[in-house]
Amino acid sequence: MKKRGIGVGCMFYGIGYGFSRQDISSATVEICEDGSVIVRSGEVDFGQGSDTIFCQIVAEELGLRYDKIQLIAADTFTTPNAGPTSASRVTYVTGNAMLKAARAVKSTLEPVATEILGENDLVFVNEEVRSKAHPQKRMAFSKLAKQCHLRGLQIVETAWYDITTKDVDKETGQGDAYATYSYASQLAEVEVDTQTGKVEVLRLIAAHDVGKAINPSNVEAQIEGGVVQGLGFAITEKITQEGGYLKTNSLGEYTIPTSMDVPVVESHIVEVPVSTGPYGAKGVGEPALIPTAPAILNAICNALDIRITDLPADLENLMRLIQEKGE
Amino acid sequence: MEEKPSKTVLRMSVNGRPVEVAVRPSWTLLRVLREELRLTGTKKGCEQGDCGACTVIMDGKVVNACLVLALQAESKEIETIEGLGTADDLHLLQMSFIEKGAVQCGFCTPGMLMSAEALLRENRQPSHEEIKVGISGNLCRCTGYAKIIEAIESVSPKKIVRHSPHSDGY
Amino acid sequence: MQNFQFYSPKSIEDALDFLSDKGDSCKIIAGGTDVIPGLRLEHLCPAHVMNILEIRKLRGITEENGRIRIGPTTTFTDIVQSDMLKQNLPLLVEAASSVGGPPIRNRGTIGGNISTASPAADVLPAVIALGAELELQSRSRGTRILHAGDAVEAPYKTQFNPDEILTGILFKKLPQGTKSAFEKIAQRNAMARAYMNLSIVLRATDDGNISDLRIVPGAVEAVARRVTAAEKILLGQKAEKNLIDKATETLAAEMVGVWIPEYKMPVLRNVFKRVLSSVL
Repeated sequence: MKKRGIGVGCMFYGIGYGFSRQDISSATVEICEDGSVIVRSGEVDFGQGSDTIFCQIVAEELGLRYDKIQLIAADTFTTPNAGPTSASRVTYVTGNAMLKAARAVKSTLEPVATEILGENDLVFVNEEVRSKAHPQKRMAFSKLAKQCHLRGLQIVETAWYDITTKDVDKETGQGDAYATYSYASQLAEVEVDTQTGKVEVLRLIAAHDVGKAINPSNVEAQIEGGVVQGLGFAITEKITQEGGYLKTNSLGEYTIPTSMDVPVVESHIVEVPVSTGPYGAKGVGEPALIPTAPAILNAICNALDIRITDLPADLENLMRLIQEKGE
Repeated sequence: MEEKPSKTVLRMSVNGRPVEVAVRPSWTLLRVLREELRLTGTKKGCEQGDCGACTVIMDGKVVNACLVLALQAESKEIETIEGLGTADDLHLLQMSFIEKGAVQCGFCTPGMLMSAEALLRENRQPSHEEIKVGISGNLCRCTGYAKIIEAIESVSPKKIVRHSPHSDGY
Repeated sequence: MQNFQFYSPKSIEDALDFLSDKGDSCKIIAGGTDVIPGLRLEHLCPAHVMNILEIRKLRGITEENGRIRIGPTTTFTDIVQSDMLKQNLPLLVEAASSVGGPPIRNRGTIGGNISTASPAADVLPAVIALGAELELQSRSRGTRILHAGDAVEAPYKTQFNPDEILTGILFKKLPQGTKSAFEKIAQRNAMARAYMNLSIVLRATDDGNISDLRIVPGAVEAVARRVTAAEKILLGQKAEKNLIDKATETLAAEMVGVWIPEYKMPVLRNVFKRVLSSVL
């Protein structure tokens, strides 16, 4: 008999290390004489897209084309310390450091532009600097860069950003745990084969409050990947050990979801900007997978009226529980 | 001390070019591609056929290069990711993967592309389900497969014209 | 991986000559999906490895004298794509399509699935259910025929002699009206070792009497076999509920407690009932 159920999982997750653990980052933005931009970041982009959003942030701030920003990342010889690439903190902390560095560089450029254009209501847009009220008063960004260099001005800034929190009271647990939190809800629809214990996830719907999606495609990608990891955590992945030796020590034994195991994933990006985030952004890396297993387990409970309290909800686990309940 | 068996010359075609390389019997095709021919686009994942990171096309069919003894590839035609496209001349599938955001860490990507290419050669307009089957031998941890499937789906018979790999602006 | 000498004969004759000399220290390799991991993990340390993929005669699906001959190096993909097999031996096609993923199916062979004799094999139980005969050749014994059901002595151990090579798997065409079904249960939907599989072949006469029934569960016993005790309950009878229940219990009782874990027993009962009902 196949039984269907729907379940919801909700979560909030602290961004960064929290609890007064050091949480700082830095980034460097340099404007070269010809107007090209070099950005240096200590973060590691292993596919999540941190390189991309750093270029986006600097480009946005300086009105330049994102694909013209040159990024040097994770080079211990030349990039400043950004702290670890973990804790879903990179957009929030290092993104902020990028923004700060870009703004610092801008603050060197602006007076020079004012001097040349004779206006001080300047906007940086479309690779130019121009007056808002008198748009015909404009100059190319590259020319402005040259002018700054000719004036012997330093247009390279390394900015530091610190989100280390005060910590909570050890007795009451109240206080300042994390700098900010991401929130999410996910919904899973499952179909359980009560004759075999097999769980199929038919649909996964995820809504994540990320503050601001600097790169919506990348945020979606994180959500899509995270929920499948959550699905594996809930259903297909089991670690077994014997006498201290890991038995599930290969991809043949430790079975992560294949393309045949994944449902349609619908992701919804919710943007409730946080004032402390770069353009209001928070984080999504870990949040993507946190509510998935709870949603799936709740869906199984909805289908079978069985509470699963240890993972994975695999064939063996489920069949045992179904038998105990008495089918 | 046990003597190693002497090497045998392996002759095969790789990405359209004839190749001759001295190999030991215990070497796999994967080892030859990566270590001897320096074609490191094909990845070493589990080395036992469970992950698909080493997927190449051999005589027109996708295989795990880690499960082919080098000498079993004698006279065969091997196609690797390097033959599919280059940075200056991207294959349609590669462009689609980029456009759709189907690449995160990239480790599964060469294998995925080879499986997708083999699938499209046999079935020019595969259904969603057929695509899922086509890549079912390739594990991915980052993407959840969604954008990979979208990227393969969007390579349709209409888009045969090759575009420049550099898009216009942002 | 320990070192070995590699030999790749182009004919069955050359292979037989080699085996008659070096059979005791030789491992035959076809698709390599089981052998290569075995070599890597050094479960297998042969002095010689003989590649049989270059022997063209060993691969292919043909009809001869009303029987279907499948060469041992015929891949799972060859089987899945064969219209002839889809029509005549759909059970085999279903079983082959359940193995691994495309790269595995392009290399894995029916001969390999039989020769590896894994308790969790998917195709071997279907081959047994279809009553196949295995053609083996050697210099010392010539050609001999072995029933598929007798091929495996113990997990990972066939009855094949070291100087023997499997040269064909022969199937009688099933009479009109024969139905078959295959189900595989696994932790995930591809690239998965069977938690359990079940092959059933059934033929009923017009009045509903079951004239032929073969039940072969896989991944539940050390060595897959037809569970004739359960088959006998229904043979010559109509499939009424009480008989189905009795056959189910007989099947369960036949599964010696040593191998199949307790938690799989209810699954076996459930799967048997539903696969059986799909062919009634």
